[in-house]
Amino acid sequence: MTINDFSPKRYYKLVLPTVGLLALIKLTAWVCGAGFDKLGKGLLQGISFVKIMFPPDWSAFPEMLEPALQSIAIAFIATVLGTLLAVVFAIAAASNLTNPIIRNITRFLIGLERSLPEIIILLILIAGYGLGVFSGIVALSLGCVGMLGKLLGDIIEEIDHTMIESLEAVGANKLQVIWFGVIPQIVPNLVSLALFRFEINIRLSIILGAVGAGGIGYELDTSFGLLQFHRGLTAVLVILVMVVGAEQLSHFIRNKIKLKGALK
Amino acid sequence: MLEVSNLTKVLPNGRKVLDGISFKVKKGEFVGILGPSGAGKSLTMRCLNGLLKPDSGSVVLTDDQGFSSDICQIKKRELRKVRQKIGVIFQGYHLVKRASVLENVMIGRLGQISTFRSLFYGFTDKEAEEAVKALEQVKMDHLSGTTTSGLSGGEMQRVAIARAIFQSPALLLADEPISNLDPSNAKVIMKLIRPLSENIPVVGVFHQPEMTAKYCTRVIAIKDGKIIYDGDPKLTNDQLVEIYGEELHQLEQHEQPVLAIQ
Amino acid sequence: MNEQLILPSAKYKHKVGYLGISLFVVVAVCIYLKYNPFLIFADFTPIQRLLGEMLPPNFSVLWQPTIGKAIAQTGSAAFLATFYGCLIAFVLAFLTAANTMPLRFIRLLVGGFLSLLRIVPPLVCILIFIIAVGLGAFSGMLALIVITVGMFGRLFTDIIENTEHSAADAIYSVGASRLQVIRYAILPQIIPSFIANCLYAFDVNIRVAISLGIFGGGGIGYALYMAMQVLHYQDAFALICLIIIMILLIEKTSDYFRTMILGKEKLR
Ligand SMILES: Nc1ncnc2c1ncn2[C@@H]1O[C@H](COP(=O)(O)OP(=O)(O)OP(=O)(O)O)[C@@H](O)[C@H]1O
Ligand SMILES: [Mg+2]
Repeated sequence: MTINDFSPKRYYKLVLPTVGLLALIKLTAWVCGAGFDKLGKGLLQGISFVKIMFPPDWSAFPEMLEPALQSIAIAFIATVLGTLLAVVFAIAAASNLTNPIIRNITRFLIGLERSLPEIIILLILIAGYGLGVFSGIVALSLGCVGMLGKLLGDIIEEIDHTMIESLEAVGANKLQVIWFGVIPQIVPNLVSLALFRFEINIRLSIILGAVGAGGIGYELDTSFGLLQFHRGLTAVLVILVMVVGAEQLSHFIRNKIKLKGALK
Repeated sequence: MLEVSNLTKVLPNGRKVLDGISFKVKKGEFVGILGPSGAGKSLTMRCLNGLLKPDSGSVVLTDDQGFSSDICQIKKRELRKVRQKIGVIFQGYHLVKRASVLENVMIGRLGQISTFRSLFYGFTDKEAEEAVKALEQVKMDHLSGTTTSGLSGGEMQRVAIARAIFQSPALLLADEPISNLDPSNAKVIMKLIRPLSENIPVVGVFHQPEMTAKYCTRVIAIKDGKIIYDGDPKLTNDQLVEIYGEELHQLEQHEQPVLAIQ
Repeated sequence: MNEQLILPSAKYKHKVGYLGISLFVVVAVCIYLKYNPFLIFADFTPIQRLLGEMLPPNFSVLWQPTIGKAIAQTGSAAFLATFYGCLIAFVLAFLTAANTMPLRFIRLLVGGFLSLLRIVPPLVCILIFIIAVGLGAFSGMLALIVITVGMFGRLFTDIIENTEHSAADAIYSVGASRLQVIRYAILPQIIPSFIANCLYAFDVNIRVAISLGIFGGGGIGYALYMAMQVLHYQDAFALICLIIIMILLIEKTSDYFRTMILGKEKLR
């Protein structure tokens, strides 16, 4: 390092990127129709609106319980079935268990799924199967397969190859190798990922509900649509409890399993 | 009976790692394979149970009924059937992590039970008791309930040996079964393997010529992928030098003989 | 036999018990939702019919100026939200990290604010912002900022708190002020992972931007939603292809730069 490195000249090379960044911000702000003046006005309006929402309409609370339960059930079943399916996909996507052709096809399918947000998958499913719980669960399950399939597939690929070989050496077939050699080793990761995905699914089930997959998201969306903002706030509060509850539950289970020594 | 003839293997980079390995092992024989590191001992062992396909040559295993099969030629399905009867102890033990010691031993019978049972019911209590007996033989029964992740190297090795014994094999292959054991446990294992060889052929790789001299009935020495010695287990110092190289000799000039034969 | 040993038969009973209970719960929930998981394998007709209507994709729709504008809007919203969101998250992270903010009161206050942002559902955000600033990409962008700050504020805090303390101690020991320590000991340590996370945030935001578009945030998501609503499935399919390509491209570029910055092993 020379003395020159500490002269103001060393900042010169930052000038061009900064100017570029500023220009990009200006351009994108123009495209979005964004502006600080608009934001200022909007924020005032937003705050007064949030004030209007209070107090929550507690009389609507009992009506919210059923959809909330439905949302939780959707997230739960999608997580369970999606995780099971994800294990199958992960095994098919692991290079040490399957031949390259199947692996690449599976990886391609997983990549395709991952490149589509769940809500778009939901839109496609709604076009095919109509509005309702069915489309919502399938969309969330597929999301689960995309995320866990890739992560678990990578985890399986990291399993020591020699261990699989030692099972083959006693004459075990593929299913036995998977059941006795692979599954025991991925269970901790599997549980922890499934819990993580459950948290995500709870959040997603609310968004998907608003598009028509049923549940509390639908209540929220219609309340806002019908300008019943007090009712909407009740739904918001129920949702907050759900999200925090799911998070706490997942933490609790994770800690419990960790205490048992299963997660290492 | 195990009949290995003319195994050759050339690596993709053109190096010939196995070069015409041929030997026969009969019932009642305990063959110890010696050789310097990288000689091709482990590769030979891997060919013997079909984990590695040699470029040419054959490995013919003949059972008591006179039924013989060439491990290098048969299809995958039949290979699985043959492997059920081959007990293997790997150089790196290769246990299933996070499964208990007992399960790791019972896994030895996987090929022998039906897929359906192994997936849904699993092993029976009788098999578990037998597995505990196998663990008792290697003095590991006190740890049968623990997971393998916490075991020491020697303990893992003994679990791997128990697995091979539990398999009640028709051929036992052991790649450095005592390399991680303390001297007294090494003796326990060798004393355990020796009587097994009365009923089945046993082939083991060792780095301890004094051990093979004491327990094996025959010694084969491999160097650079070729067999350079096949015969009496008691090797002379000159023969050892031929196998392991001049360094062995130089060492002995400064110290007392390390590899002297009792 | 020792007491640690669990016989296979006992283990089997255990397994069957757990499996039975789980199966019962799953089936009960399925019945409650009137959901038949095998329907999707058993009945292909809806998918077949849909594919029939979607194929061939009408790629000519992609050349319409409205679509170009929609893409630009989605991209812009994601970019601006990433920029401002990460910036805000960055500043707030310094106010929550124990090694940069001495006042416990402020730490708790800002930390609580970050937690609140994190649990606010995106749907609530977008609905409120639509009322505040009207339909369009701007409201989508604002909602995205909130989501980004919620998601990355905590992460940046952890990153700051996990920096090496020895470097900071060395600079404190020559009598430097807190700000100087941040500038010379903490910033250099966190800048690479900060930039890598910004790239990751953009990757995430583009997906969320598309999703939020459906609720009135504008952009390509809204265009797709409209095409679906008016049953122009061939147009919709073309848009779906476009979205897949867009997301894949951004993911790969973001991955590439992140590997460049962090080295392969740290890539999440
Ligand atoms: N998969 C492989 N790819 C490339 N080279 C290999 C492979 N496996 C073995 N080799 C090479 O083949 C040679 C013989 O290996 P082998 O494992 O049989 O040695 P070894 O005699 O068992 O030695 P040690 O006593 O150290 O176990 C070695 O030089 C090794 O580098
Ligand atoms: Mg070896």
